[in-house]
Amino acid sequence: MIVAGVDAGSRAIKIVLYDTAAGAVAGRASCDQGVRQEDIAARALDGLLADLGLARGDVARVVATGYGRAALAFADSAVTEITCHARGVRAVAPEARTAVDIGGQDSKVIWLDAGGAVRDFVMNDRCAAGTGRFLEVVASRLDAGVADLGAMAAESAQPVPISSTCVVFAETEIVGLLASAADPRDIAAGVQKSIASRVASMVGRRAVEPVVLTGGVALVPGMAAALAAALGCPVALAPDPQYTGALGAALLAAEARA
Amino acid sequence: MNAPPRRLTLDDWDARYGDLRRAGLREPSYGGPLRRHVADGDHRLLRLQFDNSAAALRLWNFLLTEEDRLHAARAEGRRIVGAMKDLGTVPVMAYSLPGVVAFYPDGAWWTPCVMEMSDELLAVADRMGIDETFCPVRAMLGAFVTRRHFPIPDLLVCSAGAVCDDFSAIAQRLNGLGHPILWWEAPHRSEPEPDEEAVPLPGGGRAPRAQVAFLESELRRVGEALGRLAGTDLDDARLADGIQRANGIRRRLRELREACFTARVAPLPALELLIAEMLAIHFCSDLEEAGAVLDDLLDEVRRRVAAGTGFGGADAVRVYWVNPVADLRMMNRLEAAGGRLCGTEFLFSHALDGIPEDVPCWEALARAAAADPMAGPARDRAARIARDAAALGAEAVIVSRIPGASHCATEGGVMADAVRAAAGIPAVEIEVPPLSDAVAAQVSTRMEALFETARARRGCGT
Repeated sequence: MIVAGVDAGSRAIKIVLYDTAAGAVAGRASCDQGVRQEDIAARALDGLLADLGLARGDVARVVATGYGRAALAFADSAVTEITCHARGVRAVAPEARTAVDIGGQDSKVIWLDAGGAVRDFVMNDRCAAGTGRFLEVVASRLDAGVADLGAMAAESAQPVPISSTCVVFAETEIVGLLASAADPRDIAAGVQKSIASRVASMVGRRAVEPVVLTGGVALVPGMAAALAAALGCPVALAPDPQYTGALGAALLAAEARA
Repeated sequence: MNAPPRRLTLDDWDARYGDLRRAGLREPSYGGPLRRHVADGDHRLLRLQFDNSAAALRLWNFLLTEEDRLHAARAEGRRIVGAMKDLGTVPVMAYSLPGVVAFYPDGAWWTPCVMEMSDELLAVADRMGIDETFCPVRAMLGAFVTRRHFPIPDLLVCSAGAVCDDFSAIAQRLNGLGHPILWWEAPHRSEPEPDEEAVPLPGGGRAPRAQVAFLESELRRVGEALGRLAGTDLDDARLADGIQRANGIRRRLRELREACFTARVAPLPALELLIAEMLAIHFCSDLEEAGAVLDDLLDEVRRRVAAGTGFGGADAVRVYWVNPVADLRMMNRLEAAGGRLCGTEFLFSHALDGIPEDVPCWEALARAAAADPMAGPARDRAARIARDAAALGAEAVIVSRIPGASHCATEGGVMADAVRAAAGIPAVEIEVPPLSDAVAAQVSTRMEALFETARARRGCGT
């Protein structure tokens, strides 16, 4: 039986097909988010199915998650990204007790019990500080790609402190830093540190090891290390971290069919 | 007349009102279809879902006609007292006197909640230097300036000290605009020292005897001013009678809450329960009528409990809700996300506890005022919330914050941590501005995730 998890995030849509008979991921795909969310997600799902020689009728159940989950009318049910990330982490890192997901638009910290169930969670409030959107804005200002920021930060000799937590103000701050000839690599490292610090403040003194990092921002090299430094404990990177939520959704779809 | 419980939009209510009228609905003088309040500017009603009972219709009509009652009181020559900040103390004294009506100008913070931004009260406050960094209660300043809502009170009474800092600043601005205020001090409630005599307070707390005595002297000073306004003394007999009548409202509300919180299926929507609870502090400018409104609601709730009918089904997640919301739609969202109320603490738990009737009346009122959750440390409030949430079988706790309201800016974390630690109940904080559209998706996600977590815990017995 094939089931699907669709994570309609604010910046990207991620899809995981799961083969329950094989007990393994059958395929996955992602694409940029857009205006007509349902159409984009449906096209991506159909494209992935076609690549695998399957059709929509072969999918026993679809669970949608993410910020756009309610917009996906083709899904059989919608589950929040908190529950889906927790389920995904349970699959890929069952020993984890704290999951940190840094997504495009929000960040969340999920505390898990020994069975992998959600014990508690917090999400960032209102502003985009500590999210992927922050990185996008900075990358644009530094004339670099988001994926390049990690490499730039790794070459930094002295990260520049970014004092603004608001993305808009931080952008202004970075313009000022560039005008004063600050090294873009130091700015990139400073931004990474700022995001990690913001997320660490959400964790507070409640970091329970092992800590696992998920979400698209986890793909930026150095992010896990920056978070580990801010938390004062090791942080492991989830495998294919951008797909953790979609994987969790697919596993929940499988369990609902079982 | 007694249709099964259902949620209605305003359009639905138009038809329902016609049905009720044809079935012989008897209405009070302020009755009528809900729709008419939209014409008065209460646009938010267009986006709410309501309970379908005649009792709920009466509740809403009672709430939305308070200004009419105040203007009628002025026309009839009754004296109007604007009580500010104390949440449930000064009105008890005012309604003990003949020919006196009291209301809370602070209640104007609800005006943008039901009128959205159409009345521009917040914009007026902005122009007076009280901007969005302050609590939405700044709408009150706008209402005093525009004079389009309540009549200007004959006497303004405001507590200061252990109250919301924002409000103190706003009230001082009001004073500066030429509206003299009689201030009285509400001291910060402290734990009695070992060598101090402790006085038990309603709700289970305690305070040093000296603090209660000070509060009593302050309330007596306010009582003298009220007496001068009424042209007759607020003597012990009058106050004792007023306390008894206020306790009648509080008793009804305790019964209503108990019936709602303990029922297998929630017999009343969260929104109507919130509105009803507010009557504990302001009586909606008519204490006797507030009692009649609550009697109707209680009858309806008891009927539904007996029939096992209500909202959300028996599977709904039992939620303990902390603090009132600035956007009333949030209470609808609670149920849409699969939750129901099993307990509430809307910042005025002391106004729901009975005022002691076995001690001298002035001291009794002072003890009730001392029990104000805002007058004491956040940990006291958090402890009571954790205790009540556990006792009421809460599966989740939602701590709602109002942007700019300094009394709950940091309390939320203390309270959420307390229920997690003391009761092991998952909790989330949400922030709800008067117009919550921009944060609606994020808040809904938090609620849904909280309820998913609570349901998952059912399965594993935690």
